[in-house]
Amino acid sequence: MATQRIELPQGTLDLLILKTLALEPQHGWAISERVRQISSDVLRLQQGSLYPALHRLERRGWIRARWGTSENNRRAKYYELTAAGRKQLEAEESAWRKLTAAVGQILETA
Amino acid sequence: MLRDMAMRFRSLFRRRAVEAEMEDELRFHLERQTDKYVAAGLPREEAARRARIELGGLEQVREQYRDARGVRFLESLLQDAGFGLRQLRKSPAFTMVALLTLGLGIGANTAIFSQVRTTLFRSLPVRASNRLVVIWVNNLEQGWSRIGPAGQDYLDWKQQSTSFEDLLLFEHGSGTVTGNGEPEQVAGLRVTTNFGTFLGVTPVLGRTFTLDEANGRHNYAVLAYRYWQRRFASDPLVVGRGLTLNGDAYTIIGVLPPELNTLWAVDVVVPFDNDWLKRVDSDLGVFGRLKRGVTLDQASSEMNVIAKRISGVRPSRRGFGTVLVPLETVRVEFIRPALLLLLGAVAFVLLIACANVANLMLARTDARQREIAVRMALGAGRTRLLRQYLTESVLLGLLGGAAGIVLALWCTYLLARFVPSRIPVPNAADQVFLPVVRLDAASFIFAVLISLVTAILFGTIPAFVSLRCRVNDALKESGRGTLSGPRGNRTRSALVIVESALALVLAIGAGLMIQSFSNLVGANPGFHPDRLLTMRIKLPDDAKNSPYKEPRQRAAAFQAFLSHVETVPGIEAAAFAEIVPLSQDDMDMGYFVIKEAPPLAPGEHLSADYRDVTPQYFRAMGIPLLRGRTFTDQDTLENPRVVIIDEALARRYFANRDPIGMHLQIPEAGRPDREIVGVAGAVHDVSIEQAPRPTVYFPYLQSPDQTMSLVVRTGLPPESVLPAVKSAIWAVDPNQPIFNVRSMDEIVSGVTSAHRVALLALGAFALLALVLAAIGIYGVTSYVVSQKTHEIGIRRALGALPGDMMKLIVGQGLLLSTAGVGAGLVASFASTRLMSALLFGVSATDPLTFIAVAVLLTWVALAACYIPARRAARVDPMIALRHE
Repeated sequence: MATQRIELPQGTLDLLILKTLALEPQHGWAISERVRQISSDVLRLQQGSLYPALHRLERRGWIRARWGTSENNRRAKYYELTAAGRKQLEAEESAWRKLTAAVGQILETA
Repeated sequence: MLRDMAMRFRSLFRRRAVEAEMEDELRFHLERQTDKYVAAGLPREEAARRARIELGGLEQVREQYRDARGVRFLESLLQDAGFGLRQLRKSPAFTMVALLTLGLGIGANTAIFSQVRTTLFRSLPVRASNRLVVIWVNNLEQGWSRIGPAGQDYLDWKQQSTSFEDLLLFEHGSGTVTGNGEPEQVAGLRVTTNFGTFLGVTPVLGRTFTLDEANGRHNYAVLAYRYWQRRFASDPLVVGRGLTLNGDAYTIIGVLPPELNTLWAVDVVVPFDNDWLKRVDSDLGVFGRLKRGVTLDQASSEMNVIAKRISGVRPSRRGFGTVLVPLETVRVEFIRPALLLLLGAVAFVLLIACANVANLMLARTDARQREIAVRMALGAGRTRLLRQYLTESVLLGLLGGAAGIVLALWCTYLLARFVPSRIPVPNAADQVFLPVVRLDAASFIFAVLISLVTAILFGTIPAFVSLRCRVNDALKESGRGTLSGPRGNRTRSALVIVESALALVLAIGAGLMIQSFSNLVGANPGFHPDRLLTMRIKLPDDAKNSPYKEPRQRAAAFQAFLSHVETVPGIEAAAFAEIVPLSQDDMDMGYFVIKEAPPLAPGEHLSADYRDVTPQYFRAMGIPLLRGRTFTDQDTLENPRVVIIDEALARRYFANRDPIGMHLQIPEAGRPDREIVGVAGAVHDVSIEQAPRPTVYFPYLQSPDQTMSLVVRTGLPPESVLPAVKSAIWAVDPNQPIFNVRSMDEIVSGVTSAHRVALLALGAFALLALVLAAIGIYGVTSYVVSQKTHEIGIRRALGALPGDMMKLIVGQGLLLSTAGVGAGLVASFASTRLMSALLFGVSATDPLTFIAVAVLLTWVALAACYIPARRAARVDPMIALRHE
């Protein structure tokens, strides 16, 4: 509990989900675990908002859901990236990089 | 996009499956999270708790999840609809009254809409029918507003006019078909050979005529669909078969499509040849097809220039002009005022129904005021509540619409019985056939649309009134009768005033129609129309080897028919006449000069309708003989020529002189002078509204014609003697066709049909409006009484008498109805003149009708107030006070 957690900035949840799914299809819980682990516990997804977000992304056609069997042999809903989702991820990634770079520059110089 | 739609669709219609999946997914998440904490050493219970906390409130997550589905709006709409339905079911009395009211309003509107659409706005089954015009000649000096032109007119017009793509000439006639079963009289049409191309008609079988078939006489016949069905049993090989028409052999070359019968109700169509066109004299029909971009006015003025030119060349056409009327207009000229009147009236009925339902809804809203207030206090948004109100009223509207469609089906059936299938063309001695009206897709769409509009109309008013209320007041005053406050009452009163006013306008319209119709029916047509049977008989004198070629032979035949018919029991008198009054069968008119009068200017002549009649005609018809004598069997070709003139002619041309003994001359070479031997009463020949036209009667034996109408005055119902009359005629000649059998009642009801339709429908609507207005007044008064129970109780306790209470309540109801009557009278003055085309013998602002109907409405209002007022009078002060 030593590390301080950061609230996710608006609009970044979609980006994180897409990025996580870019590696391999995952179910919801695994996505939240992956984000937590990779960010070394700094980012913790508000788990409640994860599922509506997944549903939204699915409706937009960026991810696809299918029921599968989890590593502990239980029925779980797996999400995977679609082609459209991959494109969207690239676009959002580059937008994010530009944004952080610009914000970083302002913080350093101002 | 498609995917999005599919998912929303699934969320909406597979709601349960989608919910289950959501539950599964969330449960899986919780299990994994719990497992994780258990693995880290927490007791299972604690682990599960932490997992749930981290997820962040299961119910909230679920709601967010549902929001993400994007079907929230529709879902709550369905919820509202379900709630609305339960509400409607909870108050069955309200629902029944509202549905009945709406159903009546919507049903009547749908039926009238369908009638108007089919009758007035249906295009004819021919190419570009909106550019077709009927061309008549007229002579305003002689009072002839529409006469069929002659063949020469057609030829001249065709040559000189530039406004038309083409002109079509046609002539109605009848012929006898023999050799195919029993001899039969058929309705025929002779047309110029451009018939097919002019109308753009594609025959069902074979072909129509070709243009060059006008050069020379071709005995080709095209069958109408109905005749082909009836006489040839729809024989697909009919083309090439023969047909004996008036003794001539014709070859059948084609069959017309069935729709064309709505334009001409004929059996056989045959061609004119060019020689014939120059021979035929008059009373033909001409249709013109306007060139694209040419207006009716342009064409009319061109035709008038041509008419002037023609009158310079042909003296017989001096003083004549032309009249052009679009074919689609002329066909409905007779019935249009009645239908438009009904369209207006029925819209009023719908408005009244709306006002009534709005009032009902207001009353119900009061009852629900506490429910609304509680929901508002708990944070329900006004828009959300408004939406719920509207959902409920739309639901009610649609249900009402469904009831309306059922009623409309029934109304259409009723209308079909009262709207005639044949209507006269005014002033043109012609009639047209109206299409059968059925409810179609457009009618249903119309019904749904007006249901929605009505729902919004009657739904918004109570919604706004109720939502404007203040939550606090409503909650505090719960249980007391003043919930809606003055605003609700004012709205209610305004609605009642409006509906009384509308009902008054309708009732005044109906009152005027009733008077007009009774004037029309009671008007003396110049003869006695009851117990008269009429039928047409045409001697087949144009057939080869016809025994009726000679005038004498024809006269003898009709004499023989008469002497046989007169022996039929139950017959009081029988006679032949060229044309029966009001029958629109034909027209015959001509010129004359009075020998004893000062000579007229050259080219000027007098004119009158000509009628050939047998001696008993005046007695059979009940036409009074005012002076002189009637015809006798001695008025034959061997004896001096005589005529009888009618009162209209005597007044117009003889003024104060006695016409008996004077002579009429027909301005044609070789015609002998005719002595006037009698003056008969004037007869309304075209319609009852039109003044009688000057008429000259000729004794039949001096000018025997080939087609005559038999009129039989009977002592029994006319239909009962028909078989005996027919066999009397067939006893003379078994091959004699008899056609157009009609009683005079039928003929009269044909010319009064527009008035009758207007009367019946307007009467029904007015009655409906009065009932609805009465319900409205009753509803408001009862409401006021229930609100004021407390006040009444106090007043009674303080010594007021039951009678005073009644006066108070009745007075309030009367105040409303009087305001309504006032507004209605003003509206009536402004609007009844629109129906003056349908009024006969009564002014559109007839003060007596206005007063009588206003009094009637006031009485209705009084009656409607009476029951609640009596309830008020019976209020027991103790109970009323304790009621608090």
